[in-house]
Amino acid sequence: MKKPKIDKTPARLDFIQSATGLILALFIMGHLLFEASILISNEMMYKVTLMFEGYYFFGERYPGIISFLAAAISAIFILHAAVAMRKMPSKYREYRIMRKHTASLHHEDSSLWMIQVLTGFAMFFLGSVHLYGMMAQPDQIGPFLSSVRVVDGHMAPLYLLLLFSVVSHAFIGMYRLALKWGFMEGKNSKKSRKIHKFLMRGFILVYLVIGSFSLAKYIEIGMTHDFSDGETYHSQTIQMESEQ
Amino acid sequence: MSEKKDGHQLRKLQVDILRFDPHDPDDFPHIETFEIEEAHGMTLFVLLNEIREHHDNSLKFDFVCRAGICGSCSMLVNGKPTLACRTLTKKLDQHITLAPLPLFELIGDLSINTGTWMRGLNERLETWIHDKEQELNVDALEERMEPDLADEIYELDRCIECGCCVAGCGTIQMRPDFVGAVGLNKIARYHLDPRDKRDNKDYYELVGDENGVFGCMTLLGCEDVCPKDLPLQSKIAYLRRMMLRTGLKG
Amino acid sequence: MKIIYTDVLIIGGGLAGLRVATGVKERGHDAVILTLVPPKRSHSAAAQGGMQASLANCAMGEGDDEDVHFADTIKGSDWGADQEVARMFTHCAPKAIRELAAWGVPWSRVDRGDHTAIINAKKVTITERDEAHGLITARDFGGTKKWRTCYTSDGTGHSMLYAMDNKAHDDKVEIHERMEAIALLHENGRCYGAIARNLMDGELVAYVSKATTIATGGYGRIYEVSTNAIICQGMGQAIALETGIATLGNMEAIQFHPTAIVPVGILTTEGCRGDGGLLLDKDGYRFMPDYEPDKKELASRDVVSRRMTEHIRKGKGVKSHYGDHLWLDITILGREHIEKNLREVKEICENFLGIDPAEEWIPVRPTQHYSMGGIRTTYRGESQTLKGLYSCGEAACWDMHGFNRLGGNSVSETVVSGMLVAEYIADFCDTPESSVNIHSSTIEKFLKIEEEKIEALLTVENGEDAYVLRRAMEKIMMEKVGIFRNGKDLQEAVDELEALYKRSKNIEVFRSKSRAANPALVNAYRTQRMLKVALTVAYGALLRTESRGAHAREDYPERDDANWLKRTITSWPDKEQTMPTVTYEEIPIGKMELPPGFRGYGKDMTLHNTESKVRQETVAAIRKKLEEGGASRFEIQNALMPFKHKLPSKYQNRNERLNEPLGEEHE
Ligand SMILES: Cc1cc2nc3c(=O)[nH]c(=O)nc-3n(C[C@H](O)[C@H](O)[C@H](O)COP(=O)(O)OP(=O)(O)OC[C@H]3O[C@@H](n4cnc5c(N)ncnc54)[C@H](O)[C@@H]3O)c2cc1C
Ligand code: HEM
Ligand code: HEM
Ligand code: SF4
Ligand code: F3S
Ligand code: FES
Repeated sequence: MKKPKIDKTPARLDFIQSATGLILALFIMGHLLFEASILISNEMMYKVTLMFEGYYFFGERYPGIISFLAAAISAIFILHAAVAMRKMPSKYREYRIMRKHTASLHHEDSSLWMIQVLTGFAMFFLGSVHLYGMMAQPDQIGPFLSSVRVVDGHMAPLYLLLLFSVVSHAFIGMYRLALKWGFMEGKNSKKSRKIHKFLMRGFILVYLVIGSFSLAKYIEIGMTHDFSDGETYHSQTIQMESEQ
Repeated sequence: MSEKKDGHQLRKLQVDILRFDPHDPDDFPHIETFEIEEAHGMTLFVLLNEIREHHDNSLKFDFVCRAGICGSCSMLVNGKPTLACRTLTKKLDQHITLAPLPLFELIGDLSINTGTWMRGLNERLETWIHDKEQELNVDALEERMEPDLADEIYELDRCIECGCCVAGCGTIQMRPDFVGAVGLNKIARYHLDPRDKRDNKDYYELVGDENGVFGCMTLLGCEDVCPKDLPLQSKIAYLRRMMLRTGLKG
Repeated sequence: MKIIYTDVLIIGGGLAGLRVATGVKERGHDAVILTLVPPKRSHSAAAQGGMQASLANCAMGEGDDEDVHFADTIKGSDWGADQEVARMFTHCAPKAIRELAAWGVPWSRVDRGDHTAIINAKKVTITERDEAHGLITARDFGGTKKWRTCYTSDGTGHSMLYAMDNKAHDDKVEIHERMEAIALLHENGRCYGAIARNLMDGELVAYVSKATTIATGGYGRIYEVSTNAIICQGMGQAIALETGIATLGNMEAIQFHPTAIVPVGILTTEGCRGDGGLLLDKDGYRFMPDYEPDKKELASRDVVSRRMTEHIRKGKGVKSHYGDHLWLDITILGREHIEKNLREVKEICENFLGIDPAEEWIPVRPTQHYSMGGIRTTYRGESQTLKGLYSCGEAACWDMHGFNRLGGNSVSETVVSGMLVAEYIADFCDTPESSVNIHSSTIEKFLKIEEEKIEALLTVENGEDAYVLRRAMEKIMMEKVGIFRNGKDLQEAVDELEALYKRSKNIEVFRSKSRAANPALVNAYRTQRMLKVALTVAYGALLRTESRGAHAREDYPERDDANWLKRTITSWPDKEQTMPTVTYEEIPIGKMELPPGFRGYGKDMTLHNTESKVRQETVAAIRKKLEEGGASRFEIQNALMPFKHKLPSKYQNRNERLNEPLGEEHE
């Protein structure tokens, strides 16, 4: 029997959507932890920044790396958004049906999906702004520079919204990812789903706490620190050649 | 019967029913409220028949087996799709709302035409054993099958086509061409079955697109409302993996 | 006027109807199925326990064959069955099940090695043969010598029905759902189809066909409490009766199932007892061994039901709001077994009783369950009196069940009779005799009559309330035509039912006047017809002054082979008569392979027919002679009662078994 060739696109798109989502989610898990280094000390945050700038590998700072990273993430971000857009209610009518459906069904997982759609939609704007900033000014990162941006650059409200969006979106997404593909399902899928959901809730909570504290710290620094001798942070332990 | 069950406080139930007769040009969807004395061990089957027999004999609804096995009586009970015949009133509040399942053609009041819909689905997905090559000899020993596999197939074969999963799925509400969990479960069932000689590519043709397994957004309403407790999430995931593999290999 | 032409019209989309449809379709004839509900929702879906077929795969089924199955069936029927038909049936049951296996039913399979089972309240280890691994297994059911009831967990009927319906899709059978046949079209003693009413919009449609098959299932809903689906209202039997020509057989033979839950009457399968469950009384005492020391809980259904009723009458029942009941204890089977093999039972207990059957006992009592009677047919499934009208499945009295059917023989009958009758119908359709010679004016006349009936129901004033009549009928049947019957009650029942029937001619549909979907209208015309069916049951029971199988007369406790070895035949030749006409059809002993004997329950109360002894001796002599000559069981059987020539040739071959390979046939 000769069979006509199958159309591979739907499989690929679904895979891309999940893969990009997963990469972004893992990225964010790391990102927010690195960001939280500010909670340990300014010095720590500074070291992390240096690390990303390749200082520990090349002995020199290349903010371009960050630019490159941001560009790469942006690409994934855009790809993910573009692919995931297929799933967003495309017409207002669809959105209304879905709203009505979730409201009358009182069904948690359907509501979670609604949250994902709304947060995705929000990030479309919030995330883009942030990413653009990171691409354009990769050298403007550090305990002080960042704090200045957060406070004087009026980024704090945006970050707060972005934080809530991205954390819920990412972990709901990971939960959905696990169930969608049957990761670590085990013998009893009802039980493993419960575990997945528990983990999802836990991660959201932990990350919201960490993120909020870091943001608070940036704000605190931005509001209280005396930037009269420049906005760049001067490390006590690491001496840059250029600064000498 | 144990006394504690009968000790349940009987109430006067307030039952709101969404009514509409599409055959009556003057009618429009409206809520009608009935007050019914609760009885011991009362199910919605008993309750609705009580209404029909003593309050309004034009009330339309469907029951066949009244035992939770034929899938005729699915409706929205307080917004949730479920089988009415096996819903005990004592598990519900004193105020009950009943409405027909959305998406299916309305015959009248709570009666919907799930049959035609399911038939269309079965035809679309060709939910029967495909094995034309082999001439069946009914005299000879039957083909062997691993006992565990037989059990596994039966597990998925238990679907009663009640349509609850369809009503519980937001995706299909938005995009009526989506096959829904009921359809995906059926494909998973035939995929498991060695008697069906279709290969992955054949199945991909049927469900390898946005109306099939890649259209499912893992909302899990299906899994949570299925009255037969079918492992829908797990089987859709299984099918998705199969179809992805097929799709990537080409 | 809407007329639809087809070769074969099939009324009923249950197992029997679907099997006929695919059968005639494969022979190249068009088929249309009419059904009240989508086929997959037919009552057949409710069969839990299993299907009998003598495959002899599992260890406890070893040594089983057609002969054993045949003997069980005839004894079960209390010698009321047509033995040739029972032979045809037992011969074809393995074929039917193998066919279903190929069409997708996931039959539970034999698993090699040891497993434990509960037999007679004790744990036993059973060892399955290696060579049987992966073949279809079976469980124990009442009234059988061997474990012969094949199953898929406890959703056997469901799986079978789904496989059949899917097969019908594959075969492109046309299925018209929510179309109710309300009258048969006939002219000059020949049936040409039916008038049907669309239950969604009320339209009347004439279906004209060469052959018409009624596969509408049983009529349990004439009783107040029944395990049957609520659409099992006997409409097939009623419209056949209303032709005035077709006849019904053994309508009084009604089976009561021992274990339906109280109060709703939903069945818990015989598999519960088959797998080792016990019946207990109010003291938690296992009483069945006292009555039936041999078969205990697994005696034939009619026997167990009567013993339970007797025991309740002795005051041993458990009192409840809804009358007395007994307990079914399956806790001893263990949770794992229940969750795997008795899932539906578990769900039913949880949903309708709020109990966990792995922990608690289930309240049960005997409840109306099966209609052995139905449209009387020849072995070809054709009405004996109305040409072109066929019937099979529970709707028919083909007559392999006689006065009591064995558990698991019914779904088996649906597919076997469906498969055979389809061939006979196709044969008929292949002959010129089958051409349709009905005047269109006759069709019009039939349509008009039905229209007028409906019109009358909607326009009569000061008429009767159909619900009131129906509830009264249900109560009479329940109280006076139940498990134990007696002349006085039956006479009252007949009189009261006749009075109700007369009143039913003046039914008015109150308030709800729609001609489209209108439940009140449906109830009105069905009630009229159900009353006719109820009358055939009650009247047949009144006249039959003996006890046979499920028909137990307290005033005539003996089985009376001398006078009553015959079938009750009911008809309704004149529209104006208010009682059915009853005649009888002899069951000739002279041709029996298994002459009447003692059924083996309680003490022998049979009033024997002198002919039985003669035939027994003849049979014994033939058997002895042939056995000495080294004849095979097939040759002996053939000498006693040849039947194979009656089967369609493609179903005449022998059945393969592990111990009976097909090769031997040519020796
Ligand atoms: C609870 C329960 C459990 C059972 N378990 C077993 C078991 O384990 N083993 C066993 O062997 N048997 C069992 N039986 C018996 C068995 O299920 C039935 O006898 C058998 O399924 C009947 O099948 P059928 O095809 O003849 O009729 P049904 O399945 O009853 O189908 C009747 C069809 O006729 C249609 N119909 C009816 N009237 C009309 C009309 N006027 N116009 C158009 N269509 C009409 C209906 O829509 C339906 O499609 C059980 C029965 C019950 C009640
Ligand atoms: C423009 C921004 C974004 C939009 C519009 C968007 C939109 C969506 C939508 C609609 C879904 C649901 C798809 C479905 O249910 O099938 C989704 C899934 C997902 N998103 Fe996003 N998203 C965005 C950004 C992100 C980011 C930044 C992350 C990571 C932190 C992320 C992680 C995920 C994950 C893990 C999934 C689950 C993947 C899957 O279901 O296949 N998304 N996204
Ligand atoms: C490679 C790309 C990225 C880089 C280099 C980067 C870098 C940073 C930096 C340096 C900060 C600190 C504040 C500041 O300096 O302005 C920050 C904060 C933040 N970023 Fe990013 N980011 C990247 C991508 C993203 C993406 C894709 C998201 C989500 C869509 C995101 C969400 C956030 C949030 C929510 C905060 C606030 C953190 C907090 O609350 O503690 N970032 N990011
Ligand atoms: S999958 Fe479950 S909910 Fe869906 S139709 Fe089947 S039984 Fe009903
Ligand atoms: S609810 Fe719908 S989206 Fe998928 S998981 Fe179930 S089919
Ligand atoms: S009536 Fe059959 S499932 Fe409810």
